[in-house]
Amino acid sequence: MRPRMNPILIFFAVAAALPMFFGATGLFYDAFQSIFVFALVGLGLNIITGFTGMLNLGMAAFMAIGAYAFAILTCDIYPFQVGFWSGLLLSGFIGALAGFLIGAPTLGLSGDYLAIVTMGFGEITLDVLKNLEAITKGTQGINPLPRPTIGGWTIELQDERSWYYLLLLILGVAVLFVRRLERSRTGRAWLSIREDALASQCMGIPPKRTRMIAFATGSAVAAVGGALFAALLSSTGEPNSYDFQVSILVLCIIIVGGMGSVAGTLVGAAVMVGMNAIVLVKLADLFGSREQGASSNVLASPNNWKFLIFGLALILVVRVKPEGLVPPRLEGESGAQPPAPPKSQSGAAAQGAGA
Amino acid sequence: MTTLSTIVAACVSLVIAASSSAQNGTIKIVSSLPRTGSANAQTGTIVNGIKMAIAEVGGKIDGYEIAYEDWDDASPQRGNWDPTVEAQNANKAVTDATIVGYIGTFNSGAAKISMPELNRAGLVMISPANTYSGLTKPGLGEANEPAIYRPSGKISYFRVVPTDDLQGAVAAEFVAASGAKRVFVLHDRELYGKGIAEVFERRAKELGMDVVAVEGIDTKAANYKSLAQKVKFSKSDAAFFGGTTQTNAGQVAKDLRSAGFAGMLVVPDGCCEEAFIQAAGAKNLEGNTFVTFGGLPPAQLTGRGAQFRDGYRKMYNADPEAYAVYGYECGRVLLDAIRRAATKDRAGVLQAVAQTKDFDGALGTWSFDANGDTTNRVMSINAVKDGKFVFVKRAGDTAVEGAGKVSAGGSVAPADAQAR
Amino acid sequence: MELDFFLQQLITGLSNGMIIALIAIGYTMVYGIIELINFAHGDLFMLGSFLALTILGALGIDAWTGGSTWFGVLLLLFCSAVFCAGLNWTIERVAYRPLRASGKLSLLVSAIGASFILVNLGLFWGGLPMEVFAGGVAAAAPKDFPPLVPNTNLLGEDSLVQVTPKDLLVVGVTLPLMVGLTWIVTRTRLGKAMRATAQNPIAARLMGIDTDRVIGATFLLGGALGGFASVIYALYNNTISFQMGYRAGMDAFTAAVLGGIGSMPGAVAGALVIGLVRAMSDGYLETRWTNTIVFGILVLILIFRPSGLLGSRAKEKV
Repeated sequence: MRPRMNPILIFFAVAAALPMFFGATGLFYDAFQSIFVFALVGLGLNIITGFTGMLNLGMAAFMAIGAYAFAILTCDIYPFQVGFWSGLLLSGFIGALAGFLIGAPTLGLSGDYLAIVTMGFGEITLDVLKNLEAITKGTQGINPLPRPTIGGWTIELQDERSWYYLLLLILGVAVLFVRRLERSRTGRAWLSIREDALASQCMGIPPKRTRMIAFATGSAVAAVGGALFAALLSSTGEPNSYDFQVSILVLCIIIVGGMGSVAGTLVGAAVMVGMNAIVLVKLADLFGSREQGASSNVLASPNNWKFLIFGLALILVVRVKPEGLVPPRLEGESGAQPPAPPKSQSGAAAQGAGA
Repeated sequence: MTTLSTIVAACVSLVIAASSSAQNGTIKIVSSLPRTGSANAQTGTIVNGIKMAIAEVGGKIDGYEIAYEDWDDASPQRGNWDPTVEAQNANKAVTDATIVGYIGTFNSGAAKISMPELNRAGLVMISPANTYSGLTKPGLGEANEPAIYRPSGKISYFRVVPTDDLQGAVAAEFVAASGAKRVFVLHDRELYGKGIAEVFERRAKELGMDVVAVEGIDTKAANYKSLAQKVKFSKSDAAFFGGTTQTNAGQVAKDLRSAGFAGMLVVPDGCCEEAFIQAAGAKNLEGNTFVTFGGLPPAQLTGRGAQFRDGYRKMYNADPEAYAVYGYECGRVLLDAIRRAATKDRAGVLQAVAQTKDFDGALGTWSFDANGDTTNRVMSINAVKDGKFVFVKRAGDTAVEGAGKVSAGGSVAPADAQAR
Repeated sequence: MELDFFLQQLITGLSNGMIIALIAIGYTMVYGIIELINFAHGDLFMLGSFLALTILGALGIDAWTGGSTWFGVLLLLFCSAVFCAGLNWTIERVAYRPLRASGKLSLLVSAIGASFILVNLGLFWGGLPMEVFAGGVAAAAPKDFPPLVPNTNLLGEDSLVQVTPKDLLVVGVTLPLMVGLTWIVTRTRLGKAMRATAQNPIAARLMGIDTDRVIGATFLLGGALGGFASVIYALYNNTISFQMGYRAGMDAFTAAVLGGIGSMPGAVAGALVIGLVRAMSDGYLETRWTNTIVFGILVLILIFRPSGLLGSRAKEKV
């Protein structure tokens, strides 16, 4: 039975076709490049939070680690200069290693205690990146970063369309990887740990090791996303580019998209990043004040409304679709179930139903 | 050459004006500044300055309509400039062929992102606020700077503000002249604040002062009371804070004073705005607090500068902030270049901007040097009295030689940014 | 001299810790009852301080003028507490209650959304054309909060160590509030209902407890504490900014977790630890590493005490 199309396929088909309908305008490609990068980071978080149920508030730190690892391995002011592809792969490994190191002592922590540890790790990472100037160049940012080459052909930074397809391709590979994992023995172990750690332990699934694999895998995917984020800018930007707000954005992506759903992550990234990069920009342009002397009034500048619009949109989306835009059960044949709310919440749910 | 093109341009415009009143088309200028969040206070005044410069020419040059767009390079999540958005702005500008000038950025870090992109497209970029030396001056930043920002080998980035290496030195000399022996250096760990604090530290040591410590603050902290006590207990005569109003300079000043630190406090031009006084509380700044500024404060401006000040008051019903004049100057120098440009396209405008010489600007008469920096090196030191900035003295004209940090500039090696 | 410096950092650390504690209790109460990390709490607190500054501006009070100033301080505390309580209750009604059935993470996103909205309202508020907001021209800039409570040194002007009326104010307001709150939670009917709802909402409901009302009351109380904290914070630090909720919220959240989420004495203990660690790190180490040290200590404590300093050792509810 095939009641509906696979949303992942739809996403990629639409994304692959889009450039044919639109001209080569900068904004369009930029926005989508960002969407693809954040979708990748979102996939990483989806493994950790969506599949395995560990709330992670420090995803930006793993992006930062990926970006800086990539930059240090490839930029011409460092001795390594391993090139784009090796750099990308190695940054993934370093991300996994970092995930392992932070996860090893802390993954035994329950729920929100782990959340705050990851948030703290985010802050520590920022401080370390800022303070270890000898290695990270502090707030300078590391630039320039290399372009990818495919069989002697180099994709230049300004070749937006090629970048678009390259990122789409990498995202596609990542989606395949994550989908396979999800259906593998490991992936099913993740889901069972999320649903009931105690029961799955009884069934012979070691909770700590399973969590650890999820954490390291997710971190690796996010680190690759971070490396691409930097490669797109040809610079790591400031350490502040990977602050708590970025972690929050990624978290919003997977929750708005649908926890534990790969298709949801893709759609969530398109919605959240697209809102930032396209909708809010267009709104600002639309209401942009060209008249003179209006800037002393705080309400007059459309830019001053962005937080408000973004916040309202978040509340509205979870209000209308609390289980996310594409909940996991719509994903097709997957065995993944929507994450059950924590026990105390199901209490509240029952209560709501009874009322 | 310049005059010739001016004459040609003038003739062309005459012919056009005579032949018909029709438009030649639209030339677009954009600015890319953080307009969401805390920097909005300063960027608002910069945008006002740009708008004023455009209004002064009636929004038209040689029959071309000048369109201006005020772009935001911040995002709501960050509440500050966002590298992704800045890259988007640069791309957007590059792909819109009617855009001939890009005014920005506010943050030097943001400039690092958009400079190579715009340079490759030959689109002129003029910054009203970037002061990080490495963007233009070889030998002051990383080894590969500034070549990496000039992949085309040509210079397309200009700035109307004096750089950190000048201002930090001026501040150190001012502190030394006050007789201070021990100085405590604080900074905000950001590109601008830390850069200027490092120059200050170097110059202070050269001048024989004892730099007690250099501390990078946490800009989001609620207060700096414990750090302020450390400064007080260190028996320093003076303190320097490299940072801006956004990076909590007001709180630093406030806590230093409330801890009982009575020594001299010097802060750079990132604090030269009303918002700093408002944040720190006028009483806390009264007396021994000084603000360096690259240029003269509005009240001290003469000639064109005075005209700017009065015009701004008339147009916006408020006194211009220190930064407004930079925005105005960016706008004017760009419009002047458009007027002089032989062809009203990117290449023509870029060439005309690069040729800017002895420009009769609001900041004085100045030119762009071979690196794209302003030759204007006039600085001022200001104090706060009755809640207003008051001019103390002019500085900087001589400090440059003393600092010995400015390289001659000269030729720029064509960079191969594609390398690796 | 060395001892003086140590004592000074101790005083600063304790005062800062007390303020964090006030915010942290608001966090931990909400967390304890509906397991929501209330991201909007820090921004609610921010708006409380904006209200306080607005009232001062309207009344034209900008300095210490003797005994009647205490009246002003009380007025501010009262107004901000009522305002924040009401706002917190409203947010719960509008943004959280409809989502309570749909899981923890949707609630979290709703809280993040509410936080963005409050931040934006703070930005607009800073643009009010009042003198205390500098006529509203620089809405985004930090605002100076008048030094209503003087900064005179109670140990005499010659003493290197400073103890100011501000420090006394912080302790004088925070301690009674904590005692009062502990009394409410442990000794009153409402407190009992709160604990019951936190323990097991279904059972509480079956026992005839109107859990919706209890949760609403918790938000009222938590908001009121945020309001008190906002005034104390503003009087102590003398600066408010529309972005201050982020750090205040983060510190408070960290304190709440460090102490053991849901435990009020724990939140206070956690807050004092954070305040002291910050002060000592600033004083004896380098400021730039302070955050790293705070979070490093947090991780270490949690590794050895996975439920925080004073958290219950009980396993997560299964």
